[in-house]
Amino acid sequence: MRLKSTYLFILIMISLSFTASIKPVKINSVFQLLTTQTEFEAGSDIVLKFSANNDSKPNLYLSNSYGSIILKPIIKRSFLSYLIPKSFGNKTGMIHWKFLSDMPLSGKLNIYSKQEVLTMESYLGPPSIEAGGIDYTMLVVIPTDTYDNPLKDSTQISVKHQFLTNESHDTIYMKNGISYKNIYSETKTGRILISSECLGKNSKEYDVNVLPAIPTNFMITYNRNHEYADGNQITNFSTTIIKDRYDNIVSDGTYVDFFINNASNHVLKTSGSTINGIATAKMIHPDHQDIWEIKAFIEGMAESDSISLVYKQAVLDFQVDFSENHRTLTIGPLKSFMNQMIPDGLEVKLHVYQNDIKIKTLYKSSFEGYTSFKLNLDSFPKNTYTFKIETAGIEKTYQNIKL
Amino acid sequence: MIRINKNILRIILMLSYVAIIALVVFGISSLYSYLNTGADRSAMLHTEIKKIDQYLPKIIWSPLNNEGRPMDAQTLNAIENDYLDAWYVKHIAYKTNKTEGVDDYYTESARKNIFNIIVHNASENISIESTTLEHHPTLDFFSEDGQLVVITDKNVIEYKRIYENENIIIETEEKSTYKIILLLEDGFWRIRHIIKKDTHNYKEDLAPALRKITTLKGINYYPQATPWDMFGDTFDAEVISKDFRLIKEAQLNSIRIFVPYEDFGKANVNTEKLKKLTQVLDLAETHELKVLVTLFDFYGDYSVLDWTLNQRHAETIVSTLKDHNALLAWDIKNEPNLDFESRGQQLVIAWLDHMIALVKSIDQKHPITIGWSDAESAPILKDKLDFISFHYYENLDDLEKTYQNLKRDIPNKPITITEFGMSSYKGFWNPFGHSEDDQAEYHEQAQSIFSKNEISFMSWTLYDFVEIPKEVVGRLPWHKRTQEYFGFINQKGETKPAYKYISKQ
Repeated sequence: MRLKSTYLFILIMISLSFTASIKPVKINSVFQLLTTQTEFEAGSDIVLKFSANNDSKPNLYLSNSYGSIILKPIIKRSFLSYLIPKSFGNKTGMIHWKFLSDMPLSGKLNIYSKQEVLTMESYLGPPSIEAGGIDYTMLVVIPTDTYDNPLKDSTQISVKHQFLTNESHDTIYMKNGISYKNIYSETKTGRILISSECLGKNSKEYDVNVLPAIPTNFMITYNRNHEYADGNQITNFSTTIIKDRYDNIVSDGTYVDFFINNASNHVLKTSGSTINGIATAKMIHPDHQDIWEIKAFIEGMAESDSISLVYKQAVLDFQVDFSENHRTLTIGPLKSFMNQMIPDGLEVKLHVYQNDIKIKTLYKSSFEGYTSFKLNLDSFPKNTYTFKIETAGIEKTYQNIKL
Repeated sequence: MIRINKNILRIILMLSYVAIIALVVFGISSLYSYLNTGADRSAMLHTEIKKIDQYLPKIIWSPLNNEGRPMDAQTLNAIENDYLDAWYVKHIAYKTNKTEGVDDYYTESARKNIFNIIVHNASENISIESTTLEHHPTLDFFSEDGQLVVITDKNVIEYKRIYENENIIIETEEKSTYKIILLLEDGFWRIRHIIKKDTHNYKEDLAPALRKITTLKGINYYPQATPWDMFGDTFDAEVISKDFRLIKEAQLNSIRIFVPYEDFGKANVNTEKLKKLTQVLDLAETHELKVLVTLFDFYGDYSVLDWTLNQRHAETIVSTLKDHNALLAWDIKNEPNLDFESRGQQLVIAWLDHMIALVKSIDQKHPITIGWSDAESAPILKDKLDFISFHYYENLDDLEKTYQNLKRDIPNKPITITEFGMSSYKGFWNPFGHSEDDQAEYHEQAQSIFSKNEISFMSWTLYDFVEIPKEVVGRLPWHKRTQEYFGFINQKGETKPAYKYISKQ
């Protein structure tokens, strides 16, 4: 019985050994990573060392932040070494490596930046801001190491800025590979000087202009030689010094529009831009008596009070002489407020009517106090006409003149 | 006699004179019209849009919650475009080991790093074909002056094929997280720093489809008048409806149709065509037929940089149809094994593998297959597919054995035959071809094998066609003629003897 079972056992063992020997025995190459360090400072020599049990020399695939490379091993006895090229190992971030053999061996290395600043890469903007403490500019600082890697997050950076008598120091920390600081304006205009410092390295000086805020309402004044409507003299308008709400004089060149409303509700417009906060503008006097309402605007931002100006009639009356069969009309003398002859250029209009229908209007300017119209035969054939003469706001009508 | 001769001479002279005048007038007029052509007013400003889609990985932005200045949609769009272009030019640079285009998308200090790698790879004869399939960016920071942004791009799926002396040495897929600082320079958002924060090997987990494939008795379908151009201008729902009724009445339960890739607009799927496709499925539903939709018909590129475009195409079609009641399953590609030789087996399989993953990520419900052209290819990717399908045009006597062998190799997946048939063309170009009776006999035999072995089948095809496009079988008339006579219904619309065996023995 016992013999039988032993025999059976042996038989089974033999048959099993047959089935086992059919399977081809494949000697797998065994590699083992010997380098235990997985954190490296940028710029250091990085060598991945493997032990190997046979002669195969697989390549190594490496992938960093920028791309992938393939490395060939350096074989020394039973070790395989892969020397990571400097330009590849210099960049911070993860390096993923894979062994190009049947053995699925892979791993990661982390390269961290060298905590040493080569450049303080700074971006400042916007370059000009508004006074008042609401507007701000932003300083972005990226301190980079020798290999152009941003320093680690949480690295401390101090930002310094000076404005008028104030100097401030602020400490900020790197986050997301950058650091930034908002620098707010104060109530005065001027220039803020900004610099930063990290691990003993100082940046250069940056500056930001603080410009006045938007103008506030202002007053206007006028200045004229006389109050008569002679159509010749010029009235000057000017603003008071225009300031923002923090008492800063607005920037030169701020554009001011003056709107003039006259008695017949027509609008005249003149404009000027500020120098040292004052804008001036000019307007010629009217040629007839008038009342002006003047108001100035800085469009969409500020306006002035309204002022009123009265122009008195300068020419009180004039004479009209007909001659040469009524075909020549001489108007004058046109006398101004002191009975002086009105300065040249006063406009005189002659409206000609026939059967109550206006057929022509003739325009002339005065010269040395007079002006004359000559009505020739071609334009005005023999007939009866009515003439209306208009100058300096005065009208005179001559009915049924026979030419 | 002399007079006649003189008259002939006169006529010839006059005609030649007229001809010369006509030639001179024609010459002058064509010169005049040539001088009048030139810069078209509308072309003067070069305002036409020349952008073409070349790289469209899936990109999903996290909700905006950044530090610094608030972001606007237009700027974000500009950043996205330039950022993806930066990846694209990098892929091209590593593929060709040339530096063209890199300057536009990387700042002076950043591009050095890429150039170093190119120099290294060029010296070792390494070239890398790569693409990214997914991006999940978050905007971390936008500077007040609008000139600097920081982005974290999480779980970027990168696929790479690395070649040494044009032999592939590694295929790898990684999932990485990057931190990117971009600067606005000369109107381009350029990468200033890119730092890989984390990375690991990536392999998608594919879950089997929720629905199982049922027993199929089906047919490959094209309308008789427009084979291989089902969704063109001559699309006629009436005709298709009538055909579907016919198919249903023949006691079939399913059809297999094809979606041509280029014809459907590649990455930007033509909505008109998509509407027609939906309409076909609607009609199938009315007639109680299930539809096996074959994607990527007439596509044969597979190149890694084309993948993102392919994926956008599939994404649109799959997401449009995935809830349709008539949808039976997805056939990723018709007979891709025929492209193994010209495009490389490994590349084609990698493409299929990723396409399966993409379709599964959108539609978890419907089963997926690949319509292999022969049984030998059928085990490829068997673990990723929900059911196996192959085409059988060989001798029917071997079918049972082939099927049983396959069944043994792949015991846990349903196996279907999605194309089989016989041409009844016998004529000038193929005098030894089969007759219509041979065809009937063939189908009778096939049906008996199917019912004996419980094989799901889809035959090729309902109709004899009149005009086969040259893209299908080429220009050779013996190929074209043969392809025209596979139907159960002849060119005149009469049923052929084989029709009796369209769905049963």
